[in-house]
Amino acid sequence: MTQLTIKPVKEVSPKTEKTSGRFGSALLNNFEKFLPYVVLIVLIIVFSITATNFFTLRNILSLMLQTSTVTLMGIGVTFAIITGGIDLSIGSLVALTGTVAVMVAIAGVPIWLSWIIGMLTGAFCGLLNGLMVTRLKLPPFIATLGMMLVARGVALTITNAAAYPAPEGFGNLGNGTIFGTGPKFPGIPYPVIIMVAVAFLFHFILSKTRAGRYTYAVGSNEEAARLSGIKISQVKNIAYIISGLLAGLVGIILASRMVTSQPNSASGYELNAIAAAVIGGTSLMGGVGTVGGTVIGSFIIGTLTVGLTMSGANYYVQQIVIGLVVIGAVTFDQFRGRK
Amino acid sequence: MKALDRVSFDLRKGEVHALVGENGAGKSTLMKILSGVYQADEGTIRYKGNVVSFRDVTESHKAGIGIIYQELNLIPHLSVAANIFIGREPLTQFGALDEKKMNADAAAVLSRLNIRLDPTIILNRLPVSKQQMVEIAKALSLDSEVLIMDEPTSALSEAEIDELFTIIHALRDHGVAIIYISHRLDELKHIVDRISIFRDGHSVSTDDYAAINMDEIVNRMVGRKLENQFPPKVNVPTKEKLLEVRNIVRRGILHDISFDLYRGEILGIAGLMGAGRSELGRAIFGADLIDGGEVAMNGRKLSLKSPSDAIEAGIAYLSENRKEEGLAVKMQLAENITMANVQEISQRFGVLSRNREMEVAQQYVKDLVIKTPSLSQVVNNLSGGNQQKTVVAKWLFCDSKILIFDEPTRGIDVGAKFAIYELMGALARDGRGIIMISSDLPEILGLTDRLVVLHEGSLVATLTTAETTQEEILTYAAGIATAEKGDARMSNQKPTQTRE
Repeated sequence: MTQLTIKPVKEVSPKTEKTSGRFGSALLNNFEKFLPYVVLIVLIIVFSITATNFFTLRNILSLMLQTSTVTLMGIGVTFAIITGGIDLSIGSLVALTGTVAVMVAIAGVPIWLSWIIGMLTGAFCGLLNGLMVTRLKLPPFIATLGMMLVARGVALTITNAAAYPAPEGFGNLGNGTIFGTGPKFPGIPYPVIIMVAVAFLFHFILSKTRAGRYTYAVGSNEEAARLSGIKISQVKNIAYIISGLLAGLVGIILASRMVTSQPNSASGYELNAIAAAVIGGTSLMGGVGTVGGTVIGSFIIGTLTVGLTMSGANYYVQQIVIGLVVIGAVTFDQFRGRK
Repeated sequence: MKALDRVSFDLRKGEVHALVGENGAGKSTLMKILSGVYQADEGTIRYKGNVVSFRDVTESHKAGIGIIYQELNLIPHLSVAANIFIGREPLTQFGALDEKKMNADAAAVLSRLNIRLDPTIILNRLPVSKQQMVEIAKALSLDSEVLIMDEPTSALSEAEIDELFTIIHALRDHGVAIIYISHRLDELKHIVDRISIFRDGHSVSTDDYAAINMDEIVNRMVGRKLENQFPPKVNVPTKEKLLEVRNIVRRGILHDISFDLYRGEILGIAGLMGAGRSELGRAIFGADLIDGGEVAMNGRKLSLKSPSDAIEAGIAYLSENRKEEGLAVKMQLAENITMANVQEISQRFGVLSRNREMEVAQQYVKDLVIKTPSLSQVVNNLSGGNQQKTVVAKWLFCDSKILIFDEPTRGIDVGAKFAIYELMGALARDGRGIIMISSDLPEILGLTDRLVVLHEGSLVATLTTAETTQEEILTYAAGIATAEKGDARMSNQKPTQTRE
């Protein structure tokens, strides 16, 4: 391109920019970024003290296994939220996709193929969400609320609300482990491996690729992005497809863990996933959020759940604590926005 | 750094007192202290002889100080009357809203100001200028004795400005003291009694307006001599047609508009607010779909279905609303510069090269003299002038051949304006074509080679800048005269080289 050279204009008004407070705000910015990590570490330390068995390899692995579902869903919904949207359908999609996978496996489709069909079902429903948002111009809340009801209804209809046992081998994905050395170390569960791999992959996509950059641009300023030649609809569709695809992945993992189709499963998980994203610093206003943050947010919720249980707090108390954490995180988000 | 440093200021009953200064001079801070948004760390405010200190806006309102901000603080989905009386709605004896009384009271306030407006109309049905009138009515309905107006004319057309000035005169005659903040120095002469000049948080001077001339005002504002508001002409228009716009129609908005843009030329688009200037720019850019007509670039017809088509062809549109449409303000400087051409910094599989991005950003920061502490600075924290340069950098990185600047200097201070003007000149000099949409006529006259004037969506005149005057442009813009019907006659016109 042609380089434009402009000689400095006889030093025009050098004082127009305010320089005060920049250092302070930079510090605060970084503090904001690290706060979720600090919270997680503090939680782990506290629970290690209050619950004797908390900080053991076996328990940490089980915690990771439990948390993997919400983490994977959270990563997906983070994309939708960054574009300025939301995806309420992912809990139902988990049930639907798991059910579909089990049903086609029962019908004789090879198991590996049934898993792929399950995931593609999720991606397809995500595409439908995207089209409702981009073509029908529905608010994402409404579009995905509708999908939430429809997907749950379909899952219940095709199974007649019953749990069908999956064929032999279907359970490997959810229950298998790797690197096991016998009873002392049962190995790392596949879902944990999948979670780590997916987290790295989507972190890379979001932070290092054009698709990721466009996701932020659309959420940060849709009109500016459009006038920059970015195809808004395409970017949003991809975000919802990712959200649906990862819900599908969770769907087959959960169905595999239970080795049955569970049309009633994962009810309300979408809210935990959204909470994880928000705790991790994703702004519901769009334009802000990271995969890493969502993973940490999800682990804050998971650690609280497991830690409180092991410390003797009952389920109801856990609900209260997690609710307060979400409120606290969003309050923090508001302060960040106000600056 | 102190936003305000031992500033003194006085305001008399029944005067219009202008407050001028570059961005960051402390005008807004002072206004916020007067209206109770901020509190002063030192010093006192006397109001009607008593020392006062307002803890919030409610207190200053009660005392009779009304403020009209640059951005309108109104609720779009409520009626005019509801907006005027928001927070103090009249109630019936049962505690329900007394719509009847509210509408009647609103009508009374409006008629006192000679504003013809139905109080029951929903606000977002009104043009911005009328909304501003509602804002003024709201401030006055509080029985304000002091009225602060921050850049009240920035969104108004010439005719609407006259209307506003009539209202300001009437208010002054009723004894209201008005603080009038504006970047548009040329309009002060119509209304101002006294003028205070601020610079870098200090009050430089306060004078009777009659006792000071424009050069002196500008000198005191910038603290140095500013001989010329506009840089010397550097571009030389060629006779090579770069863009041909033919019979563009957007139903109800643009009527059969045709004009040409030549390589190396700066073409102005003048017209009143609502004449379709921005809409014309957006149509050429493919941001709004047109119902008829065509646009050709270098003789090749363009498809104008979306901005990405125009960008690919080499057309850029710099929106008048920088923050809303030009920049992703939460994102970094470097990310904004590459936003319209991310392909250029992509490697295989769409993976971005951050190093390349930084190199690109660094180059433009240097070339365009963008003042920023770092390339990863969030754009929101840059000044208006530097934000504008960031948008320019974005389009230069796309190698745009035609840049449509829509109100390029709105909300930018005097010094930074000059830099933007220089930049536009240099872009044209390098063989690009520049279309400059502006409601600031001196700016259009100072910069362009030719200009077209729009009136209610039609092109009413094509003028050679060196041969026209502000008055002539205004007669066309106001629809008083028509030079042509916006037909193919245009193509016979040759650009005239202007000025020395």
